[in-house]
Amino acid sequence: MNEILAPKFIPIVDEIESHLLGKRHIITLTLCAFFAGGHVLLEDIPGVGKTTLAKNFARVMGLDFGRIQFTSDLLPSDILGVSYFDQNSGNFVLKKGAIFTQFLLADEINRSMPKTQSALLEAMEEGYITIDGKSYHLKEPFFVIATQNPFEEVGTFLLPHSQLDRFFCSFGIGYPDKMAERKILLGEEINLTSFNEPLPILSQDEIMKIIREVKEVYLSDEMLEYLQNIIAFTRESGLFYYGLSTRGALALTAMIRSWAYLHGRDFAIPDDLQAVVGEVCLHRLNFKEGKNTLERIRRELLSQIHINS
Amino acid sequence: MRFLKLWHYIEANSRGLILLDIAYFVVLTPLLLFVKAPMLLFLLLVAILLIFKKRRGNITLIVVALLGFFAIFLSLYGAFNFLGLSRLKIFVELIIYLLLLAVSLQRLSGKINLYLLISPALLLALSLFFFKSIFMLFYLIFEIFILLWLILSYFMQTSFIESLKMAGSFFALSLPWVVILFIFFPRISFEHASYGFHGDNIRRTGHDGKMYLDTKALLVPSNRIVMEVSFPKRVPADNRLYFRGSVLYKNMIDHWEALPHKIKRRFSPKHYLQNGMVQKEADTIAYKVSLYPTFKTWLYQLDLPIEAPKGARIDADFEVKLSKPISEVQHYEAGSVLNYRYGKYISKDVLKYALDVNATRNPKSAKLAKELILDYPKAKERLNALLNIFKEANLSYSLQPKPLDLNHSTDDFLFNKKEGYCVHFANSFVTLARLAKLPARVVTGYKAKHSNSVKNYLVIREKDAHAWTEIYIKEHWIRIDPTTTAKRIDIKSAKLLSKNSSNNIKGELQTINLYILYWKYQIQSWILNYSHFRQMKLLNSLKDRDFALKFISSLVGLIIFSILLMIYLRRTPCPNKISCLMARLFKRLKKEGYTQKTGETLHQLFSRYSSKDIRKIEDIQNIDRLYHQVRYSKESYRFKNLRRAILDFLRKKY
Repeated sequence: MNEILAPKFIPIVDEIESHLLGKRHIITLTLCAFFAGGHVLLEDIPGVGKTTLAKNFARVMGLDFGRIQFTSDLLPSDILGVSYFDQNSGNFVLKKGAIFTQFLLADEINRSMPKTQSALLEAMEEGYITIDGKSYHLKEPFFVIATQNPFEEVGTFLLPHSQLDRFFCSFGIGYPDKMAERKILLGEEINLTSFNEPLPILSQDEIMKIIREVKEVYLSDEMLEYLQNIIAFTRESGLFYYGLSTRGALALTAMIRSWAYLHGRDFAIPDDLQAVVGEVCLHRLNFKEGKNTLERIRRELLSQIHINS
Repeated sequence: MRFLKLWHYIEANSRGLILLDIAYFVVLTPLLLFVKAPMLLFLLLVAILLIFKKRRGNITLIVVALLGFFAIFLSLYGAFNFLGLSRLKIFVELIIYLLLLAVSLQRLSGKINLYLLISPALLLALSLFFFKSIFMLFYLIFEIFILLWLILSYFMQTSFIESLKMAGSFFALSLPWVVILFIFFPRISFEHASYGFHGDNIRRTGHDGKMYLDTKALLVPSNRIVMEVSFPKRVPADNRLYFRGSVLYKNMIDHWEALPHKIKRRFSPKHYLQNGMVQKEADTIAYKVSLYPTFKTWLYQLDLPIEAPKGARIDADFEVKLSKPISEVQHYEAGSVLNYRYGKYISKDVLKYALDVNATRNPKSAKLAKELILDYPKAKERLNALLNIFKEANLSYSLQPKPLDLNHSTDDFLFNKKEGYCVHFANSFVTLARLAKLPARVVTGYKAKHSNSVKNYLVIREKDAHAWTEIYIKEHWIRIDPTTTAKRIDIKSAKLLSKNSSNNIKGELQTINLYILYWKYQIQSWILNYSHFRQMKLLNSLKDRDFALKFISSLVGLIIFSILLMIYLRRTPCPNKISCLMARLFKRLKKEGYTQKTGETLHQLFSRYSSKDIRKIEDIQNIDRLYHQVRYSKESYRFKNLRRAILDFLRKKY
């Protein structure tokens, strides 16, 4: 089966990879979450390329890019906007916040107050915001990459489980491997194209079409059986404090569909599930004993359930 | 000994108890048909206590125990004396009751012990004492299967279906060995084994050997099967199917009796046999008979018996008798000669009895006989004339005739009532023959019908009972059946006799019934009654090369069949055609050391497999692609391609 990306996505991944060497899987996952209509939580230490990934992604996809640096004094209105009285027109006018963009990088989301966090997360979930009783639809496509520092520091508020659930998937970027790092150190990764110049490979219409088509990727009975077995395992195995929620299951399904689409298929196979299940579950499941790592979650979930052939 | 330790593992949890209850239910079912009413009531009480009273203290147990002993006492009341105890069946009955009581008490206590576990097997074995029929055989197989299944389902702790499959494959595997053991395990003849008990020999006395004119007792058209006969080839013609019972000489007005014992018989059957009784060697016939309990001493054989089965003897009138009344099924090999001629060496005393007649009782007949003697001086012509008289008398066959005037029975029958059944025909014919100075006697037995046969199998029912005559002429006895002279049969009797054949559907039912009887007989004679004798016969016939070949090949066939059955039962389920096809591919992969691990996708397996051998990559990738298309995509028409790809791959040599 083709593990290879469908041809039209190859230049996108190639372009982003030229700025983030050796992170092809991460890039593909981000793309996958984007087409699935979800949002991504990046959890990693500072300085491994979280911002680089986000910026390049927005650039390559030709999306409006917005960025919010979360700090402890950030207020919800800074994100959503505020309506003020315009003396010239004599009306209340909305001063749009940072969220009115297509691609939002919410940097270090855990540094702000829970009130501010939830303002963003609710907007992400609903797709529109309400200010002074008036609803404003967000632009489509709307995509958020939030980053979070995994280490608890003074003055940070780790996202509660209910908020984490709103992200489709979460992953870290990790250190580059030796060869990639050497290239970075030599300054070879800097591409000829400017870092800030937009380079849309897909048009907005094409993106919207893909998002629609992803929803129609076929899941056969066998596939659903496998999917449900995995979901049941998270709930019944007793390994975790709590199992995958239905929202989590929906996210997983959407990710599987998107992954299949990225690889040029209109139907999903078990390999699609195996590719995304770790990242989808990492922030949703907590082991009763031991550490929560991506590898461990993948191993526990995938090594227990037989795939009927 | 390891087995005995098993019961420690069986905890008294609800699952174990339920399985045990099922086992008891299955085992007790045939016994319930046999245990007496007080014991039945006791078992019912135990069942009620088990279901409705969850807490059962010591007092309950003591009360139940007392009630149990009382029930046993009541059940065996009457038989409960020393004489009774000496009877095997009563003894076994007592053992069963005691066992049932012990089991009930143990079960009520709610604890499982070894005895509770092995008692189903004991009860099963004991119930075999009372039921020795083909149905019990099938039920026994069923019981063993259920017990095996219950044991498996307890220890496997899986679903019932899973353990049922396992039990099925156990059964399939054991089948040929059971058959081989059955055929070759040395048989011991238990014919006379009474296990040291002599009480069973107390017999019900028969009152037979007589032919009554005034009752229909002998000829109730009952469908009860008297005997089943299997001939070596075809069943002989209808007019040869006379099964000889007793020979009667003495007319006692209302009935006929055999010759008194005091009459000395100078000649034994041996005598006759040695003096050319058998006309042609081809007319002798050997056949097997299964005779059901008649509580009489006769072993019925085709006319004329020349060889008595073991333990029986033939007397001078060719009656074959045992010394004791038959209370259990008798299986015997019999020999007869269908075309016979004997009587040359007959004693004067016997002849005297064969001519003994009281002329004053039947004056009309006596007058007629006198005329006959004058008209036909030759005996043979006289006999023909006699038969003609019967034919012209316009007699009718009736099972419910008007009662005869017993003092003038022959006259009344021939000239007045003109109706009756075989007994009346025989009575009158013998009387008239004797009046005409022809020595005559009555023979009773069974007259089988050819229509009651399938292939070489013949069934004889109670309603086939018959009486006919023998006339001594030209120094030998010939069989005359006067009933055949009847001109008609009255409607009522016809209905009674051929209850079933009056319309087509019923006729077919009768045929089906006959076939069922035939197969039941075959199974019975080869399985239930598979004796030392039959075993030796079978082993002897193995010397014949053709037979041995057939025999061994069918045994081998049975083994192969059971192995196939087991493979079928234990095969990995194949829910659809894709799985079946893939199973073939997996088999190949397994041979080369690649099996799908838990959690491994087929794509991963294929990559793992093909990465070792570059030549296969292309084919495997193709199969991989096609498989995922067929299995997971919406369109399913590509199955053919996948099939071809896999078959090509399996055929290809790398």
